[in-house]
Amino acid sequence: MKHFHFGLIVATVLSLAGCNRSSQKQQQRLHLFAWSEYVPQEVIDGFTKQTGIPVDYEVYDSNEKMLTKLLSSPGHYDLIQPSEYMVEHLIKRGLLEPVDQSAIPNVGNLLPEYRNPEYDPGMKYSVPYMAGTVGIAYNSDKIKDPIRGYQDVFQPKYAGRIIALDDNREIVSWALDVKGIDINDVTPANLAKVKPLLADWLKLIKIFNSDDPKPQLFSGDVDLGVVYCGDAAKLIEQDKKFKYVLPAEGAHRFIDNLCIPKDAPDKQAAEAFINYILQPEVSKIISDKFPYTNPNGAARKLLTPQQLANPASYPPDSVHLEIFHDIGKANADISQLMTELRNGR
Amino acid sequence: MTQAVAIQPASNVRRPGWRGSGLFAPMVTWLALFVVAPTAILLVYSFFTGEGIGEVDTHFTLENYRRIFTPVYLDLFWRSILYAGATTILCALIGYPVAWYIGRAPASRRGKLLMLVMIPFMTSFLIRTYAWLIILHEHGLFNGFLEAAHLIPTVFSHPLNILYTPTAVMIALVYTYLPFMILPIYTSVEKLDPSLIEAAADLGAGPTRSFFRVILPLTWPGVAAGILMVFVPAIAMFAVTKIMSGGHIRLIGDEIQEQFEGGGDLPFGSALGMALLILFLVTYWISAGRGAKELRGA
Repeated sequence: MKHFHFGLIVATVLSLAGCNRSSQKQQQRLHLFAWSEYVPQEVIDGFTKQTGIPVDYEVYDSNEKMLTKLLSSPGHYDLIQPSEYMVEHLIKRGLLEPVDQSAIPNVGNLLPEYRNPEYDPGMKYSVPYMAGTVGIAYNSDKIKDPIRGYQDVFQPKYAGRIIALDDNREIVSWALDVKGIDINDVTPANLAKVKPLLADWLKLIKIFNSDDPKPQLFSGDVDLGVVYCGDAAKLIEQDKKFKYVLPAEGAHRFIDNLCIPKDAPDKQAAEAFINYILQPEVSKIISDKFPYTNPNGAARKLLTPQQLANPASYPPDSVHLEIFHDIGKANADISQLMTELRNGR
Repeated sequence: MTQAVAIQPASNVRRPGWRGSGLFAPMVTWLALFVVAPTAILLVYSFFTGEGIGEVDTHFTLENYRRIFTPVYLDLFWRSILYAGATTILCALIGYPVAWYIGRAPASRRGKLLMLVMIPFMTSFLIRTYAWLIILHEHGLFNGFLEAAHLIPTVFSHPLNILYTPTAVMIALVYTYLPFMILPIYTSVEKLDPSLIEAAADLGAGPTRSFFRVILPLTWPGVAAGILMVFVPAIAMFAVTKIMSGGHIRLIGDEIQEQFEGGGDLPFGSALGMALLILFLVTYWISAGRGAKELRGA
């Protein structure tokens, strides 16, 4: 047994202590492990009300954290919410259960362009939840100079005014874009090329935050930053002084999915939840609360013209957007590079 | 601590029988399950190799420990020691007078005063840390107060930028650990016999001299316990550092969390954990040794 999981040992120790959960009587219950600020409580309550299945809801703020936790608690979660590159990775490692589309009739509501994603042809293991972009949000009352791309953000004059996602791969990809390198071409040589640029940028950033950058932008603690489009859309809804820009050097999108991990204790509950959130009315609630790009065509018909005109939620079709792919062990190189830079080396 | 020895009825001391050991068994079980076993797992893992997120190659290697001795991680340890050291010193400087005041207060009031020290524990420390965000941010309560008092712009030209700086981290650390310094010092102060201070004064020692020659040595066991109770957890602090510094200042605890949660290099995270454990043992050894010596001296 060359490869094994930390969780296995922990589980063994726990079962020795007589705390093994499998000895308890099984009751139907959905263990949902999802991104923070992404699944409205109303939707979870609505699901429990309709199906009678209670939901245990845990959150994470990066795909990597989700994976680590998933591996250390095998057979615990029923439903996870990985982004496209993580779906690719999970499929490769055989960590996902196929999704039975016949149990989820509402997949028909998804727009055709989301039904055959390149990371999971034919949606065998994943069903899109929401999509979105990573871009620049800024307060136009404070920032008067034009903001077109990353290089306009990371300028010394904005030192201490910038917020950025606390996600190593994201930050590295912005620098790769600026240097004109493919964001999925993460090699030691390319990382060496972007290192000096990243070192300069990190000094300018005031706050790293992936959970929710809205309060800091809203209160004026920071004036601009690189954020998820959903947070930007929410800021724009609240105040038109906030603007959202897709970086000129190269922008990328993400597609977050609902997937069932291998050995999920309650696959039926997971599929019932997927089917539930794909109802147009439910999907609309998600869009109202977290205005990302909704892949649900039937739900989009229920949105207001203002919601559909929000440039952060629904960017123009003309922009070319890349997506992340699984980069395997290069993740460790990114982690090492960022540890060095963030410790001032 | 001659009083303590005198009070102990030596003739009644007997070795506990098997029933007595049974009373102790839950503690031993608890330690074995939640301290010894996890530490053993950490130790074993620290000799493996991380293979991508969450996977492990079980061939023996010392590579993880070698990696700790590279400048990046040595800096990290050094920074953690500095922050924890500064926290301990500030807590002692602030905590000692407070503990003294409570310990010397009339017995009827001590309970209430101690209660005031304990009240913060009734809320989660994360919630209390988030409260600091509201107080310290650029347009927060503290700067609002300075403006209302016209200290901005007379004394300070613009709102103070405290949040997301090392100062903010220090404020949160001292705030979090202060009670852990006050309580053990209070215990020592309470036990201190006032007639000894009077004797020092009668024999001609001024206030400064009696403090450093009589009071401090006699209350040193409390101070030593306080140092241990502040320094050890402060060095491994995480989350609070991240929240208060906006992710800028990383201490060893943050890095271990990152290795386990984000980077997924469990063996390296384990090795960092073991290094931290060794640091704890050294701290304990130094402070306990020092405390014991003072005790003998007294």
